[in-house]
Amino acid sequence: MKKRKERIDRGIKVRSEDIFALSSWREMLYFAAPRVIPVAVFILLPLVLGDYWQRVYLSVAVFALLAISWDILSQSGMISLGQALFFGMGAYCSGVLNHYFGISPFLTIPIAAVVGGAICTVMLLPVLRLRGVYFSMVTLIIPLMLERVIEATKIFGGTEGLSGLDVLPSKWLEMYILVAAMIAALFGFRRMMTSDYGLVLTGIKDNDRSVMNAGINIYWFKIQALFIASAVGAFAGAMMTHVYRFVGMPVFALDYSILPIAAVMVGGPGSFAGAVLGAFILVPLSEALRALGGLRIVFYGVFLVVFVVGMPEGIFHFIARKYSQFERWAEVDK
Amino acid sequence: MIEVQNLMVFFENALALNDFSMKIEDGEIVGVIGSNSAGKTTLMNTLSGLIIDMRVKEKRKGGERITVYGKILYRGEDISGMSPSDRVRKGIVLSRERHPVFPESSVLENLKIAGYLRKQSEIREGIEYAYRLFPALVALKRRKAGFLSGGEQQMLAIGMSLVVRPKLLLLDEPLLGLSPMLQKMLVDAICRLKDEFGTTVLVTEQFARPVLPIIDRGYVIENGMLTLTGTGRELMDNPEIKAAYFGI
Repeated sequence: MKKRKERIDRGIKVRSEDIFALSSWREMLYFAAPRVIPVAVFILLPLVLGDYWQRVYLSVAVFALLAISWDILSQSGMISLGQALFFGMGAYCSGVLNHYFGISPFLTIPIAAVVGGAICTVMLLPVLRLRGVYFSMVTLIIPLMLERVIEATKIFGGTEGLSGLDVLPSKWLEMYILVAAMIAALFGFRRMMTSDYGLVLTGIKDNDRSVMNAGINIYWFKIQALFIASAVGAFAGAMMTHVYRFVGMPVFALDYSILPIAAVMVGGPGSFAGAVLGAFILVPLSEALRALGGLRIVFYGVFLVVFVVGMPEGIFHFIARKYSQFERWAEVDK
Repeated sequence: MIEVQNLMVFFENALALNDFSMKIEDGEIVGVIGSNSAGKTTLMNTLSGLIIDMRVKEKRKGGERITVYGKILYRGEDISGMSPSDRVRKGIVLSRERHPVFPESSVLENLKIAGYLRKQSEIREGIEYAYRLFPALVALKRRKAGFLSGGEQQMLAIGMSLVVRPKLLLLDEPLLGLSPMLQKMLVDAICRLKDEFGTTVLVTEQFARPVLPIIDRGYVIENGMLTLTGTGRELMDNPEIKAAYFGI
């Protein structure tokens, strides 16, 4: 008798999606564990880490936010190669406001998130009508261009950058603002993408002409998605500025564009959870490989290629499938 | 010429083709008739080997797992595991449904790309062969394929598979979306293909009326299962077929 492998949803998954979930601890745990455990880990992790790894954790959170912002764009059909634009714009906005106008970080960070996001959106408006690779090319070029503009015109401190910026009152505060932002972004945007609004965005990705046919102005929706994504990126940049007390040309570096993409590809695109997971894997790894210096970019690249070719679904989707489904050999009957 | 033995195709847990067997002799026109989701396209993909490629891609993506059981014998040789390109070399050529063409290239370029496997002289012959069958294409030679109408694109798509000089031509829903006049023209062309060039043709169709008169034998499938088989005449006279496909 011939056999084949069958993939079936776990009974507990089906039960826990229903109202019966409330009737047993096991099912409640099955349903809640994938949500509660990561949140608990995010919150408790800073308490057990040493000073150095706390710093690493900060940049994990920053890259997780950038990866989430990349994922929002890619789920709305815009493939960005320049998260550094959002990051750098937010960083410079808050840096300039703090350095020249002496505004407190508590105000500069939210202002930078909104204003930086708006500036990025306006800069990318002309290419929004283009599909496919054109959008990517422009997003790739703009941060590199801005870097040279700052170098050539010597505005905002030129190559030296602006240093000695104000810092948030306590390191725990900056840590938990970032962690809270990461958790909020992760669950908030997951929710947004499953709502009707998110449905329109994914529709634009799948078939933009059909969405137009439904009487929806896709450019308006694209602008909104772009603003949301760039505000998230700008927030990460503004936070980082005040953590390092410095803003300069490196904020437009290629690292901030490539690593978020690599993180999403490793973790799994289209779920945000994959983006965060990818950042949690890649950033500490690259920190451990700090000795390699410039070769680290090569290392992200290799990771990207390996995962794109060998496991395009990413780690998160793989784990999620194992969690919710099991496989068994079934007889092929006629 | 080709023999399909107990073919079973699973898309994850869904059974697309269930224990399907068929046989095509040299120089025959064989029809596979069935409604939507009957498994016609799956059969064509399995015969042309495209399913092997689909299986690998889906596996990497972690998507639906495609499982294929059964044997495909071509002139006595088992080709079940052979790659699509090797099958084309052997003369099994598929013209996919919804007439895919290269939209940015002209009609002539499309035909040339399609014949890439063959030698220059053979390509020239092949293109003439395609033009002889579809004279309408000659006038459109320099036009971009993306700007052709549906019917013209369908002619081009079939023409492209002809450039390779197939021994067995697989036509997946060639009449889809064509006007009755174009349908008639295409059906005539299929007949000429068999009479003039001796090509064996396997054609799938859900719209049975224009196809049934020309086929030598037909297989009717429903939900992946073979329900009925017989010569074209027998099928046309079958009351169930009449009710289901002719609405009489």
